[in-house]
Amino acid sequence: MKAYRALIALDLKLALRQRTVIFFNYLFPLVFFFVFAQAFHAERGAAMTVVLAMVIIIGILGNGLFGAGIRAVQEREANILRRYKVTPISPVPLLVASTVTGWILFMPYVLLMFALAHFAYGMPWPVNLGSILTLITCGVAGFRAIGLILASVANSMAESQILVQLIYLPMLFLSGATFPTVMFPPWLLLVTQFLPATYLVTGVQSMLLRREGIAENRLPIVALVVTTIVGLFLAYKLFRWEKEEKIRNSAKLSILAVILPFLGVGAWQMHTRDSVVRTKILNRQLARSDTFLLRGARLLVADGKVIENGAVLVRGGKIAEVYVGAGPEPRTVRAEVVEASGKTILPGLIDAHVHLGSAGGLYPGTANYDLEKGMSRALAAYLYSGVTTVRSVGDGLDGILEVRARVNRGELLGAQLFTCGPVFAAGGGRGTEYFEPFPPSFRPAAEKESRIPGSPDEARQQVDRLKERSVDCIHAALETGVGPLQRLDTSLLNAVAREARGDDLPFTVHTADVRDVTGALEAQAASIEHGSFREQIPDRVFDQMARQGTFYDPMLSVGEAFEELVAGKTEMLKRSLVQQVGPEDLLRGTEEALAASETEPMRQSMAQDFIDLRIAVDNLRRAYQHGVLLVAGSDAGNLLLIHGPALHHELRLWVEAGVPPLVALQSATANGARLLRAEKRIGSIRPGNDADLLVVDGDPLDDISATERISMVILKGERIDRAAIFDQH
Amino acid sequence: MIESVRAIVVENLQKSYGDVQAVKGIGFEINPGEVFGLLGPNGAGKTTTIEVLEGLRPRSGGQVMVLGFDPDRQRQQLKDRIGVCLQATNLPEKIRVHEALEVFSALYSRRTDLTQLTRRLQLEDKRDAFYGTLSGGQKQRLALALALVNDPQLIFLDEPTTGLDPQVRVEIHALLEQLKKECRTILLTTHYIEEAERLCDRVAIIDEGRIIALDTPRQLQQQSRSASTIVVTCARPFPQPRPAWAEATHDELDASARTLTVNSRRPAATLVDLVKWIDQQGIELTDVHLQQPTLEDVFIELTGKRLRE
Repeated sequence: MKAYRALIALDLKLALRQRTVIFFNYLFPLVFFFVFAQAFHAERGAAMTVVLAMVIIIGILGNGLFGAGIRAVQEREANILRRYKVTPISPVPLLVASTVTGWILFMPYVLLMFALAHFAYGMPWPVNLGSILTLITCGVAGFRAIGLILASVANSMAESQILVQLIYLPMLFLSGATFPTVMFPPWLLLVTQFLPATYLVTGVQSMLLRREGIAENRLPIVALVVTTIVGLFLAYKLFRWEKEEKIRNSAKLSILAVILPFLGVGAWQMHTRDSVVRTKILNRQLARSDTFLLRGARLLVADGKVIENGAVLVRGGKIAEVYVGAGPEPRTVRAEVVEASGKTILPGLIDAHVHLGSAGGLYPGTANYDLEKGMSRALAAYLYSGVTTVRSVGDGLDGILEVRARVNRGELLGAQLFTCGPVFAAGGGRGTEYFEPFPPSFRPAAEKESRIPGSPDEARQQVDRLKERSVDCIHAALETGVGPLQRLDTSLLNAVAREARGDDLPFTVHTADVRDVTGALEAQAASIEHGSFREQIPDRVFDQMARQGTFYDPMLSVGEAFEELVAGKTEMLKRSLVQQVGPEDLLRGTEEALAASETEPMRQSMAQDFIDLRIAVDNLRRAYQHGVLLVAGSDAGNLLLIHGPALHHELRLWVEAGVPPLVALQSATANGARLLRAEKRIGSIRPGNDADLLVVDGDPLDDISATERISMVILKGERIDRAAIFDQH
Repeated sequence: MIESVRAIVVENLQKSYGDVQAVKGIGFEINPGEVFGLLGPNGAGKTTTIEVLEGLRPRSGGQVMVLGFDPDRQRQQLKDRIGVCLQATNLPEKIRVHEALEVFSALYSRRTDLTQLTRRLQLEDKRDAFYGTLSGGQKQRLALALALVNDPQLIFLDEPTTGLDPQVRVEIHALLEQLKKECRTILLTTHYIEEAERLCDRVAIIDEGRIIALDTPRQLQQQSRSASTIVVTCARPFPQPRPAWAEATHDELDASARTLTVNSRRPAATLVDLVKWIDQQGIELTDVHLQQPTLEDVFIELTGKRLRE
């Protein structure tokens, strides 16, 4: 023990007397600190967490590889180790002293960095400092062990320099310690999973930003501990006191033993991709942490209020403040300025009715349609189009919940998703017709998209089970229909409605006739989906809707799409935003399929269905006149209704129908949020709400089509890189 | 145990590096309190031998006991008990003299008073100096001090004065004589004859991995087959002819004819005869010098090599 203490004390003294040690351990990384802090705007948002993670890992790399590795070789080459050889100690105290000294020298540096971050950049003290220091300790020990093993296998100074650089440079540049991994293509991100430094960077960053602890980082911590133990053991076994002793080339392979733990971790990550996902989430969270001031724009605030020249301060993913006029001096709020004069800022749009599982068209060769990819691409398309929230109705439960989870985690960049899960329907009723023609073997999969209760009891159980899976709403289809469709029994509908109410889930009903609408109103539905394309809904029914506070979601677009299909037209696909969102093969495939003669029978059978857009337009106008609360859904996913642009088109149809643009926009924002019971978070530009914003050129109150001239989309404070949003798939 | 009486027992020691046999079966014993020298040219196997005894290198064959320990098997115990002054070692530039002593002292189970040690090795003034600022002699004194931090009874000195200038060498010799007075056993290697002559009780002459002679320096000289040389110088030239001196093998007059060099196996008899004749001739004798064979001569005689080439 005495020997250990003496050697550690000596190592420390020698290190502190060495100007190069002080320079490389303290001053050099300090330069990085300020350069990075400047480059990443560390005064804003959570960028400081990135800077800290970077400089700490750069420090660890230097400390381990140069501090332990190169120095050990130097001592051997200078015949210093030889002097210890004649004493009764083994290499163990020397190796341990080197490791402990490295750690002791490093900790003040870490604390200095935290202090700078706190005092100079206003970063709060980390609450989980213990976890962070533990991870850093494991990092220092691991890299010192790697340094020592490099020293053990190098036969000369030159050799050790090469080995150290071989390890140092990739770790420096690929781990995220100098270039943020957000810049990396996916394949490179996978490569980085083999580097211990990567886990240190993401670990420190996650602990700072997400307040993660040891548990979430146990994989790299265990791997670092194994690296340390294996490294020190091999460094002991291969220890050489004298430069004259050369190591066999075959023994150099033992270096692989140290790399092995992280080869294992990397291979595991290739398999699970956990860490890649974590990195994505981390980068997402980081992107959402920024502080900026949008100013000079017209603001559609909330409750029909418009600020002609205002500013919005976004901080930490939330709307921090809304100003009339230019707002504060940006420096005082540590914000970046985004000039938005001539633009209009509205809350991110909310599409109240989408079928995420369908593409809205036909891919050439339907076999290659991947449902999950399709859904995540659709959510990206919404975000591209300024629709920051959607509600899915009638989608397969497992798939839609998985996508919702991925979006909520921040792993997937797309509109946030609310879902009713599958649709409650009658056997042979609306919502089941799509899979009825399927061969029996496909039925079970397709039937996931619906729930067909046999009794009120079963209906209740089915609702409860959906509640257990945390759906956001319950959706039922009530359609008398023409032809073969069966209508959901009233007792079942009421059972579903009561149970949904009991479970505190908004209940929403698809209707086709007046009878269906009144049935839904009797069942206390939160919203009427479609209303009717066939019958004029009587004024008294609208009055009842207004009284009950029921939302009316007309979805005129699907009527127009229907009429286009019957007429054999595809004008809806030619619109600018649709062309931007695409994808190109979907649009082409749809055009080709609809032009083909095989679709003629489909058109003929559709033509028999009685759907009249003019009736729906009239219903909407009267609903508005009767003060019914409106929400805007697009029914996207149906043929010709492409996810994203469809909602813009819907708003245009509303304005053409006589609904004032401000009312239409409120329906697609604040009202939608109320239907989703998320008005405290989304749907209006109000301090404390999520910063989900749509910035458009021009004034949509003057010309509703301005909503399609999108200048910027912001989701939870992240300014979306719209050009790159489809690259994630 | 008979070995425990001896400080060091070596029997038929062999050491090979790959195909090269550096030590080819040597044997000797060292008694407690004895100063024993291994004398030989570079590459003779001195350092290899001493490093085997110190437990730094495993031997290839033979028996070795050092302080009753087998250096191959009881390495740590042995190292704890001995003092070693290696050839060509270094310390970090920025270590202070007292720190070096303290650190190395902490590595042993036995300790000595470091203040006293510092004083004895005349390092008091340099106590706080960095190693990098020390002169060659100071560095060597520190190396000696480090070899003494555990107060060892057996000290190994590998070429303790090599590379030092003559004055410093004298200083070191004085220190070693002091250690000798303290009855410590010392094994030293050297290729300086005078060092061996001055310090060693016994000397083993080693060449090409073998001991070719082992005795006290005096005995080694006397065993020599070489003749002594008598040089006499007179005030005026020697008269001619000269007689044949008793026991002389050869004589020679220099150019001035005033200095005569005579070789003899029995220099005493020859000298008496020579001085008597000069006196008879009435010549004034200005100088007489008797040169006996040195270890160097013995060495050359035994090996056909010079020690320093």
